[in-house]
Amino acid sequence: MKYGILIAVLAVSLLVAGCVEQPKETQQGVEEIRIGVVAPLTGGASTTGTDMWQAAVLAADEINAQGGVLVNGTYLKVKLFKGDTETSREGGVKVVTKLITNDEVDFLIGGFSSGITYADQVVAAEHKVPFIITGASSPIITRRDDIDTSYFFHHCPTTDDYPDSTLLFVDEIVKPLIDERYNFPENRTLRLGVIYQDSKYGEGVYDGIKKAIEEHNLNMEIVSAEKFKMSETDFRTPLTVMKAANPDVVYPAAFLNEQALIVSQGRRDVGLDTIYLSVECNDDTDYYTGVEKWGEYSIQESRFGPYVIPAGPISSAVVKFKADFENKWGAPPSMMGASTYEGVYIAAEAIKNLGGTLDKEEIRASLAELEIPQIIEVMQNGVITFSPDYRESKFDLYMEQLIWNETVGETRPKIVWPDSVKETDFVLPDWYKPGGP
Amino acid sequence: MDLGVFIQILVWGIYAGCIYILLAIGLNLIFGVMKVVNFAHGELLMLGAYATFWIYTFSGLNPYLVIPLAMIILAIVGVFIERLCFRPIMGTGKLNEIFLSLGLIYLFQNLAAVFWTTDSRSIHSPYSDVSITLGSINLPVDYIIIIVITAICLIALQLFMKKATLGRAMRATSQNREAATLMGINVERMDMLSFALGAAFAATAGSLCLITGQMVNPYVGSIPAIEAFAVVIIGGLGSIPGAIIAGLTLGIAENIVPLFMQYSVGLLGLEMSFSAWKDTIAFIILIIVLVIRPTGIFGEKEE
Repeated sequence: MKYGILIAVLAVSLLVAGCVEQPKETQQGVEEIRIGVVAPLTGGASTTGTDMWQAAVLAADEINAQGGVLVNGTYLKVKLFKGDTETSREGGVKVVTKLITNDEVDFLIGGFSSGITYADQVVAAEHKVPFIITGASSPIITRRDDIDTSYFFHHCPTTDDYPDSTLLFVDEIVKPLIDERYNFPENRTLRLGVIYQDSKYGEGVYDGIKKAIEEHNLNMEIVSAEKFKMSETDFRTPLTVMKAANPDVVYPAAFLNEQALIVSQGRRDVGLDTIYLSVECNDDTDYYTGVEKWGEYSIQESRFGPYVIPAGPISSAVVKFKADFENKWGAPPSMMGASTYEGVYIAAEAIKNLGGTLDKEEIRASLAELEIPQIIEVMQNGVITFSPDYRESKFDLYMEQLIWNETVGETRPKIVWPDSVKETDFVLPDWYKPGGP
Repeated sequence: MDLGVFIQILVWGIYAGCIYILLAIGLNLIFGVMKVVNFAHGELLMLGAYATFWIYTFSGLNPYLVIPLAMIILAIVGVFIERLCFRPIMGTGKLNEIFLSLGLIYLFQNLAAVFWTTDSRSIHSPYSDVSITLGSINLPVDYIIIIVITAICLIALQLFMKKATLGRAMRATSQNREAATLMGINVERMDMLSFALGAAFAATAGSLCLITGQMVNPYVGSIPAIEAFAVVIIGGLGSIPGAIIAGLTLGIAENIVPLFMQYSVGLLGLEMSFSAWKDTIAFIILIIVLVIRPTGIFGEKEE
């Protein structure tokens, strides 16, 4: 009897499922563009994931409010599908499979965390679904050779890009100030401490640091390199070891919560009073709250932050995006939200050029040839385009220094490099202690 | 190896050990009396940290003075968990108890995310700028206070268990539940009391983590809970002295051993960081103890 009921329920479910009309296409042709937004909507990174989803919704709403994407004289609406990775590799694989096989999406956008994306992109590669990656920073995502990566388009800076810009800034601005204050000879080698997460992201940044020093022939040496486990909360021991190595500058490759603890434990508990550098993903309101006064004078590499608007041609677009996002969702957008917002526009532009088809190979080819003006983040040469080798778009990164703001009781960033967007000069604080001679 | 660096790291190890001890003692109290392993114990740490955060935020009191209030709140939460969740399934099988406590992990994490979002929150210790410097060693006052608070908690627990009627009744219940019942002890009340005390100790651990700069979010309890389970198993299930010794051993070993490993490979001309090996070291110790003494250092064989 029990099994009879079960079989009857199954049969009715299958019948109902078969009768439900799938809205993607009618006999006349394509009706909508189906985009799967792959983001951690639950779990440890849910704040970022939610922000990515909300930014994608804002972009889709804006496009649909204009009627949709104009293709061959017909307007196609953008329809988004939630793809919650649950901040896990298994969750990512599961949801990407669902988006492709069940929701039949034309594009995937998002992909926060290199580890998760590394796992779930395998499914997208098997089904040859174009994936605009806006949140995973490891360059391996579009460079691995065990799967076909030609459908992956990387629209966020990679772990090679962060150290490249950051160390150029240190070499150009920070090192001369240290040398001058402490009467060090100009040819003195800058002592760098690196503390990095035991993950593709952390190791990617560490490799990027070594590459940047070598490629630009920078007068720097890594005097201490400490590795820590993802989600670690106690950094006192590795920072104590690092302090004993006398670094001039400390470069953590860490996520927001880890970075705030590294800086606060380093300065408060260990007495490692140095200049801390920070990777762009930490340019977030939570970071400024979490790091408290200990973050003062530290350096934040960025491309989109909650508290600065770089001068230049996109500043009004950034102001509008931030205002629209805050009006719609009641909180400011994050960096991952910004690139995901652009991801939806990139997808829409790619479709425009196709003449009404949603063939995935044609979408891939259209993305590969795409060249559109920068939207809300400063791009190299002012355009969004993907490199022919590894399909990476190239950003112009800038450096912010955190300055204490008595009114809000937190630090706030000011752009100190490069000159084209600089708001103020970099300050070497009085409490700064240099490394060995 | 520089002696100053060694002593400094020893202090960090003792601090980590204090947090493990507070968590593990709570787990042991609950297991000792109820024979239940509460896998959601890390979530009590998280709720305790939130309790301190909110009381501190709204009252502006010295965060150390807020800890007793957080302990009382979590003790009440502990009583509710025992009455509403564990008591109805007591005696229905270990599997039910395990899955119930695993379910509570997700319930508490998701409720915390709904009520307080997944944003990380922190508070500011009034003594965060104060340190005692002894040569090259830097001893922030907050860590000295934490070691003192842990010692006070342990002494108070010891006095309660040895001198107070309720404490003796708890010990009797943990030694032999049936005999305790026959002696007129209300063992169900002892269950409630053990959960209340266990939750209060977890609240202390969570609050102390928060005061030393850790950020609280709904998922912050998971990792310390795993360490606390390792402490409980190494020290012996249900053993308070075992939890103290194992907690300190683990805290110190996790911090010192990577340093020795780094130093040792350095002698071979290799440069490697072993800081990410903390958990591995904890579980290597656990395996060694279990192989040599399967009941843990102070554990007793079940009859």
